[in-house]
Amino acid sequence: MKLLAKYNRVNILATTIVFMIGGVCYYFILHLVLIKQLDKDLRVEEQEIRDYVRAHNSLPDSADYKDQQVSFEPVAEAVKRKFGSIDILKKKDNEFITIRRLIFPEHISGVNYKVSVSKSQQETEDLIQLIVSITLAMVILLLLVLFIINRFVLNKLWLPFNNTLTQLRQFKLQSKKPLRLDDTGINEFRELNKAVTVMSNQVLKDYESLKSFTENASHEIQTPLAVINSKLELLMQSENFTEQQMNGVETIQDEIRRLSRLNQSLLLLTKIDNRQFEEAEEVDLAKIIVRQLNNYEELIAAKQITLTQHISETPPVLMNETLAAVLITNLLTNAIKHNIDDGSITVSLQQNQLSVSNTGNKLNCRPEELFERFKKDKHQTESLGLGLSIVKKICEQYNFSVSYSFMEGLHTLSIVFPSSTGL
Amino acid sequence: MKILIIEDEKGLRESIETYLKTQDYICEIAIDFNSAVEKTELYDYDCILLDITLPGGSGLAILKELRANDKMDGVLIISAKNSIDDKVDGLMLGADDYLAKPFHLSELSARVAAIIRRKKFGGSSSLHFNNITIDVQAKVVTVNKEPLDLTKKEFDLLLYFINNKEKVISKNAIAEHLWGDEMSGNLDFIYTHIKNLRKKLVEAGEADYIKTVYGMGYKFTGR
Repeated sequence: MKLLAKYNRVNILATTIVFMIGGVCYYFILHLVLIKQLDKDLRVEEQEIRDYVRAHNSLPDSADYKDQQVSFEPVAEAVKRKFGSIDILKKKDNEFITIRRLIFPEHISGVNYKVSVSKSQQETEDLIQLIVSITLAMVILLLLVLFIINRFVLNKLWLPFNNTLTQLRQFKLQSKKPLRLDDTGINEFRELNKAVTVMSNQVLKDYESLKSFTENASHEIQTPLAVINSKLELLMQSENFTEQQMNGVETIQDEIRRLSRLNQSLLLLTKIDNRQFEEAEEVDLAKIIVRQLNNYEELIAAKQITLTQHISETPPVLMNETLAAVLITNLLTNAIKHNIDDGSITVSLQQNQLSVSNTGNKLNCRPEELFERFKKDKHQTESLGLGLSIVKKICEQYNFSVSYSFMEGLHTLSIVFPSSTGL
Repeated sequence: MKILIIEDEKGLRESIETYLKTQDYICEIAIDFNSAVEKTELYDYDCILLDITLPGGSGLAILKELRANDKMDGVLIISAKNSIDDKVDGLMLGADDYLAKPFHLSELSARVAAIIRRKKFGGSSSLHFNNITIDVQAKVVTVNKEPLDLTKKEFDLLLYFINNKEKVISKNAIAEHLWGDEMSGNLDFIYTHIKNLRKKLVEAGEADYIKTVYGMGYKFTGR
């Protein structure tokens, strides 16, 4: 729920309740006041009648005016003086009207009279009705005004907040661009922007230092690896090894190689992240593919893999040449490594799509995990599990879309280059 | 052939020195920036192995100085910074080649040999091993003056072997030299490749020079 909607809901509910209660109270108070006023008039009339009786010792004429009636009635016993509101049927219009009546006793020459003075309450009722109507109209008007304020003014008030939000959504660590938030002039938003800016700067700084740590660590690891490797190679030149020792040397060699490749792959990933391959040029992918396929000819032949090429002239792609070579190499070696004996590889480059299909065992992980770091087939212990992560990373940098599919025993990796990168 | 090894890492420096000395190179060493500058100013070398990160300064500065003084010593950069920038900078400044750490000593030796060949003989020299002659520039191999038909990879392999004769070369080093370092996993296909080369040499009338060293690799030996 939007903050505004929530606020409005509470606001409108509270306003309505307050106006309702206010309206009811208003009604009763007004009623009371007006009745009091009416009663006062009746009392004045009573006093006039009494004065008349004192002066003349006889009853005045009964009167029947539009808004005031006076009547006398002889009774056996003296009545109690009392005010009351009663509904009476008005004969003329045949409808009920409310009147206010005062009954009081009068004693003239030994005869008890019940005097009743009535005044129509209709005007009072009308007045109250009018006032309540006006109040209701005010409530509706107020709600309308609130709605308009919310709709137009509040949206404008929240604009800086929404701007900040948009900026945050677009914030990318890799782009290294700090947040640029405008001064809004509103304290709350200024505080928010300040906090967000400080936080994003800190995050950028931490990310940078983490990245440079990864890079430095990788560099530092290369040197001891080089020393170990060279010492081992010298050791290999000795001629009096036992078979067991030779096996040991071989294992050490393989592991050094793996460690070194692992290190280099991580370094490459970090460098792509660090945007150290910014220089772009027009790259002829077909040329790279043909060159690489020639290079791997023997490897393909060793597994008796049938290679099919559908490589057509395509527009050059604007990207870093080193990364283009890495991309192609990783795709091809992936297809060779995870292939089966007597399998097949199909490389196709058409317009803005490159796809590499190869035979191979079914995946034992979910396809989307394929591009994650260190996800690899359990049987392929030699594999680092970084090749496709690198492919994905490179594609991300250039907004190429990369996808994987498995159909009829064929694993296919496809890369689609956006046509804008073509020339 | 005189080689200067500029490398501050003791272990690596000693390994390189030991390996190259057995290949009849005369090796001198410099362990920091100042001694390296001193040596390069005073003497001429056939090839300088240059580490980029040195105590006291950058190896690239030494290279710059060298080329500014019109010294044409061959320079092979060996760097832990496997970064494209260093590679490009180094080659722009006139380095002859670039090798990233960690490397195989056999690879280093082959690169050094290639640089010296280019520098000294303008690349026109030929290599000999018993009756085998390799014209490196023309990429032609003759055995007893008869041309030997080799694929490009077989040619590279033979050249690599001869540059590292009498040395045990690991399968990894061979795979990396021929196919780059992207190929991991089973290296059995190298065996097929070696077998083909061996067969061609034997059929041309040579002895079987390629010895399999169990568990480790191969050795090209005339003994």
